[in-house]
Formats: sequence, structure tokens, C-alpha cells
Amino acid sequence: MGSGVRFDGVWKKFRRGEVHDSLRDLIPAAARHLIKNKNRPPLSDREFWAVRDVSFDVGVGQALGIMGPNGAGKSTILKLLTKILRPDRGVREVHGRMGMLIEISAGFHPDLTGRENVFLQGAIMGMKRVDIRRRFDEIVAFSEIEDFIDTPVKRYSSGMNARLGFAIAAHVDPDVLIIDEVLAVGDFRFQDKAFGRIHSMCNSGIPVVLVSHQLDRIASLCSEAILLEHGQVRLHATPSECIQEYTLGVAQAGDSTESTLSVTAMRFDAADIVMSGERIKLHVTCRSRDDFDNDVTDIVVSVRSATTGTMLFSTGAHPCRIEMPRAQEFEIDVELQANLTPGLYHVETGVWDRVSQRLVHSGPSRMLTVQPGHRPFGGSVQLNAEMSMHQSGGADAMNEPSPELIVHS
Amino acid sequence: MSTASSPLPSSTTSPRRFVPFRDLREAITDVLEHRDLLQQLTLRDIKLRYKQAVMGLAWAVFMPVLIVFSGLIIRYAMAQMSGQHLVAVAVADIALKGVGWAFFVGAIGFATASLIGNMNLVTKIYFPREVLPLSTVGAQMFDSGLGVIVLAVILPFLGVRLHLSTLWAPVLFVLLILFTTAAGLALSCANLFFRDVKYIVQVVLMFGIFFTPVFFEPSMLGARGAFLVMLNPLTGILEGLRLSVIVGHNLFEPLYTVVKGVSVPEWQPWELWYSAIWSIGGLIGAGTLFRRVQPLFAEYV
Repeated sequence: MGSGVRFDGVWKKFRRGEVHDSLRDLIPAAARHLIKNKNRPPLSDREFWAVRDVSFDVGVGQALGIMGPNGAGKSTILKLLTKILRPDRGVREVHGRMGMLIEISAGFHPDLTGRENVFLQGAIMGMKRVDIRRRFDEIVAFSEIEDFIDTPVKRYSSGMNARLGFAIAAHVDPDVLIIDEVLAVGDFRFQDKAFGRIHSMCNSGIPVVLVSHQLDRIASLCSEAILLEHGQVRLHATPSECIQEYTLGVAQAGDSTESTLSVTAMRFDAADIVMSGERIKLHVTCRSRDDFDNDVTDIVVSVRSATTGTMLFSTGAHPCRIEMPRAQEFEIDVELQANLTPGLYHVETGVWDRVSQRLVHSGPSRMLTVQPGHRPFGGSVQLNAEMSMHQSGGADAMNEPSPELIVHS
Repeated sequence: MSTASSPLPSSTTSPRRFVPFRDLREAITDVLEHRDLLQQLTLRDIKLRYKQAVMGLAWAVFMPVLIVFSGLIIRYAMAQMSGQHLVAVAVADIALKGVGWAFFVGAIGFATASLIGNMNLVTKIYFPREVLPLSTVGAQMFDSGLGVIVLAVILPFLGVRLHLSTLWAPVLFVLLILFTTAAGLALSCANLFFRDVKYIVQVVLMFGIFFTPVFFEPSMLGARGAFLVMLNPLTGILEGLRLSVIVGHNLFEPLYTVVKGVSVPEWQPWELWYSAIWSIGGLIGAGTLFRRVQPLFAEYV
């Protein structure tokens, strides 16, 4: 039998509030647990299902991405996968040795040296002693802390700690790989290296389960994806379909706040895919009440990176010198230039209180996919560089105009 | 897809065929598979005791030495009362039983706290949780091993000779380790569910020395008292050690002593079986219990 992971109708319940107050609570609970009374109702009043009827199969050559909002059950599924929790119902099968690519320095003991901790943590992650010894130099080289390997871990910076933890996890050689949001390890250079490592492990063909909020990681690593909602599988499809569904779901989520202005709809003029550097048009439908005041309340149109969640750009009607009417429904056309690196973005709308300087209402949002454009660039913002070249050495070289840099904001 | 209202789960976990000691077998294979981890954790516990420590290796004999001195004071007082002399062999008695008792107390203390002390591991990474209490017992075995070596050097100077019955010692040490492991497993998971177990254990261990014949011998309590003390599973082990190593008594034979004209049992062969049943049965019970409740650790911790 090949390695892989199978979930078949897995249910997991949790309790709200304090678990046990006294022995009086535990003894009947433990007795019930041991006897497995069939007549017991599936849920008592303080319990809830954190994971409901989740099924999936991940075999060789497959990589499954799991996404969903906070509280959808991602971490619970992760803990079920790694055998930390046991399902209440259903079957969970894991074939082969499991590796966890998690920024985990949980087993590190501060008083032990880096070297001692590599052996300890490696053993905790299921490596054999001989394997750790064989790969020790590789691990240390990957973590880039050669000079401090005989220093107690308590003297490490948090970055060094995380790097060493990741380096160990990345050298386990598992049959099945479970990845939790790991990419926040170390500086950006190390993150690139870590991601490269993850990529090569995923491409080696072993079954992979990736749990992440970073949708573009799922898009680039996974062959299929699951969108979770309230512990249930809402969609099991390709990563891009799931991402689409997820971001639409997020868009429909928040509009209930009472405010003098609200954004009721937002649509793109054309497709939600744009080439880097091209312009994109969108239409924002708003409704204002009769007590609406342009000096107090404004709409917000913003672009957020789906990868990092960072707000990249934000504007409103006031900075664009538009006066919005009272007690009306109206549409505002917005044109943006997608000077962005290829990737996934959220275009979000909302209502901004200019007095308290905060978002009072979040309107619809849409996912925007930026594809590589005609002028590839590195970094995160297209600054539209213009370059021209001149042969030096000519007598009048000094009089030539210097290379210009034109910036469109 | 389905709405937020929860439909009843249709499938239950399939009933498992009855296999005797299934949990225990699972536990044993699991722990054997993770023996490298057990070794690393034991090594960690040993290193941590000697790193940044004032006493260093002296720590290993510190507790037995304290026990011997406290025992000597009590024995001296008893000798004074009854107008006898304190004999050198009493030092040997107390030292031998003291090492055994120190092992038990040390291992139980560390084992009880082992799951809670490694909470971050228990909630994050899967491995057979048995290795946590087992590694503390292992680390204590290292400490007490040093104590035994020191004993082996000292005992001949106190007039202790090698007997054929000295061969009982390894058997009794194994029983002691098994019993300690059983108690450690049970108490570590009890402490995970109820944090005050640690304090209860501390108190019990502190006063346990009065209920365990370390400073005294059961026969000193008279026939009924001796019987009651023999119900303590550690009695058979510690008294067995003393009688086989120091007195040179074969543990298959009963031994009587005369106290105030009355014959009082100093040793009954059933004590050996009694302790063995406690050790082995306890380990089976504790191992099974630990396996059963282990999946709940991450939820209840």
C-alpha cells in the first residue's frame, strides 16, 4: 500500500468553557468514554462539532490545500491528521511516516545547546538517531547558525530558534508531509529558502497536506483544495475554484453595521484577471441616508495582498474630489492601474469614518488575479522604470539628458 | 452544500475485535519504535540535572546520604531507649534501602510532572506519550545507578559479604523499576487531568517513609504491625534487598525473629509474590489506562 492520508466522514467535537471542574465531572465522563454507551446523545448541551463529516483522500503525487476562515476547523483537522486528536466518528488513516513542516521549536530546551537540541527535536519529530547524525551537517548548514551550534538555545534570537526548528523539520524525509503556515520563518531571504525547500519536497511526489491562509501558496503548491466553513467541507475542487469561492464568501460576509453610507455592490468592468501594469475598472454601488455628511464619512476602495494580507493601496471619494449625494443610491466608477507583481489580491470596499479614522463598515470585495505583464519586474511595485543608454567617452556626453525615472502613482 | 444545522453523524467507529492486552501491546510496540526518542529524552533529563548545577554528580548521592543520616538519628534514638548499641550493619541496612527509596521518590516526583512539564510537546507533536514519564524513570535510574555503585564500594567496609542470595538484588531492582514505572505512568496522567495530584504526591512521598520500612524493620512493629507494613508493595522489595544482600537470607524461606519472647515474622515468601504482582499487574493496569486516556491529553491538558 502506498503512502497517503484518508479521512472518511470524520467528526470531532469540543466542549465550550472549562473542561472539568472536579473529580465529580471526570469520573462519569471517563466511565462513559470507556464503556462507549450507545444510547448517549451525540452532543451534550455544552459541546459543538468543530469538524463535521470531513472526507478526503491524498495519495502519492497529490497535494491538498486546506483553506477557510478562522474557526473553520483547519487547526483541528491538522491535529487530527497528526494524531494529536482522535476523531469522535469516522475513520482517519495515515499510511507512512509523517513529517510536519511546522516552524516548531516546541521540543527545544533552552538550557541545551543547539547541537543537543537538534538530536532531541529530531527524535521528537520521529527521526532515527543515525539519520540525525547523517544529516546533522546539512541541518546546521540550512539553519545558518554553524557558529552558534554549541551555544545554549536560550541565548539564541527568536529568528535563530525558528530557523533551526525549520531546518530540522525540513530534513525528516517523511512519507507524508503535513505543512502548517510555516513561511513566517526568519527574514525574507530565509523565507525564500524555506519556501524553496517546501516546494522541492512537494514536488518529490509524496502526499502533501497544506493548511494555510496564504492563498497563493495553496495555488502554487497544491493540486486540489478544500474550502472549510463551520467545520464542514464547503467546496472540494481545484485551488483556484476554492480561492474564488472563498474570497466571494468573505465578500458576502460583512455588511450589517448601521451607518449613514453603505456599499451595496461592487463589480469589475471586465474579468477579474488583469495583466500586470494594465488598468482595471470597477463599479461601486453605494447608498447614502439623508443624514449623510461628506466631511465625516467616505467610501474606501483598497487593494490587499492575498498572500500576506498587507494593505497595499487605499483611496476614497474624498481624495478623488467626488462629492457624494444624500439619500440616494449611486454608482462610482473606479479605475486603477495594476502596478503589482503577479499574484492574488483582494479588492475591498468599505465605509471610512474620517473623524475617528477607522473603518465603520466593510462592503463587498473581490479577488483580483494579476498575471505577468509585458514588463516583468522584481519587487512588489511597478515603478515603470525608463532607461536609455549613452556611449561614454564622447566630448558632449555630459550634456546628454540623464536616465529618467517616471513614476505613475 | 450542507447548511449550518448539524445533521446527525451516520457512521460510528467500527467495533474492534477483542484482543487481550491490545492497548498494552500497542503501547509496547509504539514505545519500542520510538526508543531513540526515549533515549534522547532520558539524556535530556540527565543533562538538565547536571547542567548549571552546584552539586553536579554529587546530587546523585545527596538524597541517599540524607536518608541515611536521618535514619541513623532515628535508629540511634531507638537504641538509646532500649539500652542497646547502634551496630554498623544498621548503616548498611539504611543505606541500601535508602538508595531504593530515593529512586522511588525521585522518579515518582519527576514522572508525575512529566506530561504537564512538556505540555507544548503534548499539544503539538504526536509521539507515544509514554516516553515522557518513562524517560524520567530512566534518568532516575542513571542517578540511582551511581548510588548503587557507591554502595557497592562502601558495603564491604561495613562488613557486608557476598552471598549466593545477593543474586536476588537484580530481581528486586527490576521489580522496583517496574513498580515505579507503573506508579509514574498512572500519576503523570492523573496530574494532567487534575493539577493538584502533584501536591498530593509530594505530601504522600514526604510521609511515605514512615509507612515504608526504610529506617525500621517490620518486625519492630510486632506481629500485627509487621503484617500491615507488609501490605505496602515496597516493603517486600526493600526488605527483600536488605535480607538478601546484607543478611544473606534466601527469599524463598520465611524468617522469624523473637521480639519480647514472641516470634514475629521478619520475612514471608509471599511478600515477594505480593510485590511482584503489584509491580507487574500495576504496570499492565497503568500501561492500559495510559493508552486509553492518551488521546484525551491534548484536549484536556
